Amino acid sequence: MHFFSYIMHQTGKNLRQTWGTQLMTLLTVTLSVLIFTFFFLIYTNMIRAGERLGDDVRLIVYLEQELPEQLRREIENNIRAFGSIEKVVFVSRAEAFARFSAQLDQEKDVLDDLGPDFLPPSIEVYPARGLDDLARIDRLTEFLQTLPQAAKVQSGSDWLRRFSQFTKLLRVVVLLSGVLLVISLTFTISYTLRLTVLSRQNEFEILRLLGATSAYTRLPLFLEGLLQGLFGSGLGITALYLLYQNIVSRFSGPGFLSLFDFAFFPPELTAAIMLAGILLCTAGSLFSIRRFIRI
Amino acid sequence: MPLNVDTHNPLVELLKVTKIYPPDVIAAEDVSLRVNEGEIVFLTGMSGAGKTTLLKMICCIEAPSRGVIEVAGRDITKLSRAGIQRMRQKIGVAYQDFRLLEKQTVKQNIAMAMEVTYAGTRKINARVDELLAMLNLSDKRDKPAGELSRGEQQRVTLARAAANAPALILADEPTGNLDPATTTLVVNFFRHLNEENGSTIIVATHDESIYANTDYRVLTMFAGRLYDYSEDEPWLNDIYALKSGPALGPAL
Repeated sequence: MHFFSYIMHQTGKNLRQTWGTQLMTLLTVTLSVLIFTFFFLIYTNMIRAGERLGDDVRLIVYLEQELPEQLRREIENNIRAFGSIEKVVFVSRAEAFARFSAQLDQEKDVLDDLGPDFLPPSIEVYPARGLDDLARIDRLTEFLQTLPQAAKVQSGSDWLRRFSQFTKLLRVVVLLSGVLLVISLTFTISYTLRLTVLSRQNEFEILRLLGATSAYTRLPLFLEGLLQGLFGSGLGITALYLLYQNIVSRFSGPGFLSLFDFAFFPPELTAAIMLAGILLCTAGSLFSIRRFIRI
Repeated sequence: MPLNVDTHNPLVELLKVTKIYPPDVIAAEDVSLRVNEGEIVFLTGMSGAGKTTLLKMICCIEAPSRGVIEVAGRDITKLSRAGIQRMRQKIGVAYQDFRLLEKQTVKQNIAMAMEVTYAGTRKINARVDELLAMLNLSDKRDKPAGELSRGEQQRVTLARAAANAPALILADEPTGNLDPATTTLVVNFFRHLNEENGSTIIVATHDESIYANTDYRVLTMFAGRLYDYSEDEPWLNDIYALKSGPALGPAL
């Protein structure tokens, strides 16, 4: 019982004696965790959104004129022979007009003078879910352009390509901020402890002469790092959550964000991030303890 | 020799111990010594004779270059780091240069010796107050050690050395900064520790007044060698006037 109460007492004493430095360290840890988790949260949401958008990809082949039934079947077989095609839908002029009218809803009377034939017939090609290979979509687009009566192919691959590039850039940012997190956490804790040890060098030397054990001297310093990791990571995650809530409440309702299901980390991932923060800070304190304490 | 000395149980034994500092400074040479449990031994000699080195080797601060040192039956030259720390908890050392934390109070400085053994707060407070009373320092309890006089700091060092009632106390020049009255106080303090707690005490000192007219053993270090100071050996009486090499009789 005495042993543990002594260790906690010494840890508290260490923290109180260098409270200014401890506070700065806590702030550094919190900011590092916040920066990393911010970009990581955006990245995970972008990946999820990209997967969902990829599932909704469709290519539209606009035709010069309606196709007879036999040619339709033939073209459908050719398209399916390309591979990874989930669905092929033929849309006649009349059907296209009916869809457009439905979209216009109460404004549909503007179409009265245009007649039902002003829209071209089309073929809607739905790639299989999970087909997110842009190169393959590009090849499919090229193939569809060769179909008889094909006037134009609309694929949406341009925005998909830009989305994919943005996601890749974000991945780099996340990696860099992750590296920054590792460096800042381990070295900040390490140097904070170094300052503690240097400022109390005399005391540690006397403790050594009085017979203080390794546990007596090192454990409180180890706990310091652990606590910094725990509170720093906790505060960082909490700050991110508050920021997330703020963004969601600000941009809720119709708008760009409504296209995405912007979600916070699941509990397991939150716990894993906190654990990583604690481990990094503890590693930093261990590094300093081994290097600067001779008991 | 005092009656409470257990001559069958040596607490400290040095067997042909030599200490050489690089490149070739011999601080102690072939020193053999046996200090029994409950004994008070005075170690005298000129500055640089090797007294402090001997004490440092006994309390594991320095390792001997050759020889064996046993404390309480354990060869301290073979102890692990953890073993050395545990041994140090059982040996109280009053350093010549005090080794106090000047910004901490007298009470905190003394308590440190007990805190490393995880002693309870109440026990620590009681023991600190007892020691301060014995050494006439009760009114300095909450004063920073840096604000004390050298004589007061010396007594604080002694109190810290005695805090755990250790089996062995090593004191390096414990009366160097003290007036005669306070010197007597310190000597009585040693007697109390020896008689009440059975502590074995080795005192390195120049101060003849604290061992003269006592029946405690007095040993002399000269040029790294140990000699048994005895009134039956008049050629040792004026050791500080010796100018040439050791015509001192047999070393220990």
